[in-house]
Amino acid sequence: METSAKSSATLPANDSGYPLREMVRVYGAVGGFARSHVVIGWIVLFLLVWFFNPIKAMPYPSEVLGAFKRMWSAPGSSGLVYNVYVTLKLNIVGVLVSSVLSLLISYLAVIPLFQPFNKFIQWLRYIPIVGFNLVFLTLFTIGWPMKVAMLTTGMSFFLVTSMTSVIAGIPRMKYELARVLGYNDWHVFYSVVVRPTLPAMIDMIAQNAAMGWVMITAIETFNRTEGGIGSQIYAYTSTNQLAEVYAYLLIIGAIAVIEDGLLSLIKRVLFPYSTIAERA
Amino acid sequence: MSDTNESDCIPGPLAHPPERLETLLHIEQVSKEFPMNDGSTFVALKDFTLEIQNIKDKPQIVSLLGPSGAGKTTALRILAGLDRPTSGCVFITNGDGQSLRPVRVGDVGVVFQRYPLFEDLNVLHNLIDPAVRSGMNKDQAKEKALRYLDEFGLVKQGLSWPLQLSGGQRQRVAILQQLMLDRHFIILDEPFSGLDPVNILNVIKLISRIANEHTLNTFLIITHDVTSALIISDHVYLLGRERDAKGEPIPGSRVMKTYDMIAEGLAYHPDIEDLPRFAEIRKEIRLVEFPKL
Repeated sequence: METSAKSSATLPANDSGYPLREMVRVYGAVGGFARSHVVIGWIVLFLLVWFFNPIKAMPYPSEVLGAFKRMWSAPGSSGLVYNVYVTLKLNIVGVLVSSVLSLLISYLAVIPLFQPFNKFIQWLRYIPIVGFNLVFLTLFTIGWPMKVAMLTTGMSFFLVTSMTSVIAGIPRMKYELARVLGYNDWHVFYSVVVRPTLPAMIDMIAQNAAMGWVMITAIETFNRTEGGIGSQIYAYTSTNQLAEVYAYLLIIGAIAVIEDGLLSLIKRVLFPYSTIAERA
Repeated sequence: MSDTNESDCIPGPLAHPPERLETLLHIEQVSKEFPMNDGSTFVALKDFTLEIQNIKDKPQIVSLLGPSGAGKTTALRILAGLDRPTSGCVFITNGDGQSLRPVRVGDVGVVFQRYPLFEDLNVLHNLIDPAVRSGMNKDQAKEKALRYLDEFGLVKQGLSWPLQLSGGQRQRVAILQQLMLDRHFIILDEPFSGLDPVNILNVIKLISRIANEHTLNTFLIITHDVTSALIISDHVYLLGRERDAKGEPIPGSRVMKTYDMIAEGLAYHPDIEDLPRFAEIRKEIRLVEFPKL
């Protein structure tokens, strides 16, 4: 999202001088002040719809706020802090392990011997993760290791696909530049494949972390022994406590935004040229 | 490129006929065919033969001139060792002034069109990194890189990222990247492409200046720009396809004609464009190879 916003902001547009007109033009020349007002406008619109919505399927903000208070004061394993901690820990471990595994599998795809394995992993993303439940149960039994394994596997199927496409997009000219400069195979691999694609890999990890939240709720629903947001959502949905469900959904949204921001910050700090590349 | 000292760039005519020394590059009857999807074969090059000799006390600047589709890029790739010919061989000097050996990738420097650089390294490290990987001491590489950046007016850009450079600056960095490896043989792929006349002249001066830094320096310019090729080169090799009785081109490009600009008395001439023979050659090439111009 950040990439597209930046690129659209830097695209040349002939400013008509009328801010309102620019708002609805393709790549309209909208300044930072006007842009922030557009964002505020959308938030106000969302809140208005939420406050005054005629459909009763969605709890009112006051109900969600009440749910927050109840969950906050709930004791032990049914409390908000405990369940958020359990799921956040699972998410972070899942993102870390799947990122390392996927990077390895994706980068190895430049070696012909490993290409069929990479293709097979990519193909597995079409298979629902619940299809592997029995395998995971046999290998890990119910509990933390099984949840990590399920999440890591599910995320890796998608992460390998997107990471491999980044590597496939490296122009042939880059390889040839390294070749004519006398680089050996490993130098080419590091200088052309690994090092320049790391910023794009962080983008892929950020996207996959968001997808991980969708998987986590399913995995924790299947494996409820340790609690977590997924199991709580399942429990509250069964008893029709929608306010609690929406409270957890808001928490997931907030964590996802923070995660996205952190990964973006890491990218900017570690790979400053990547922001120039985005603007270009 | 305004920092270029004009007196350094275009050397004057030779006082005596040039003394030709050993062969630096020999392309022996190179052919290149590509299989097509319909089962047929596309012949890009056919019996492509060319020889570049060392000229005493002078660098060599030769041009491979031809229209689009004449096989220039195929020739470049084979010369650089990036592609293997279907038949024939490319030999390069061993550096001992006597023997030749088959060319390998990395023997010949290439400045590709659009000047690819390592976008994740700043300008300074784009020069240091390849040199260090080729075995140069890191401190020596840094010292040499800083000297080159100074000489070519790029000191301010040393810590810039390649994406922050102008086209001309990228071109200079790409050339310097090759020079860092002490390459005497460098291919420039379409160095004048997309430039206005003023910048073409600047690039001509730049190439002449770099070439003149070492008598063994040999620049092979792959271009379709007739005028620039004639101005800068001591030899121009016209690449094209022969035609059959009906005037249809026969598959497979080869060197159709060689213009020895030294023998013509044109090479190294400061006012080469004003000479009648220059206009004649340019017209001749355009009629043969660029009939629509």
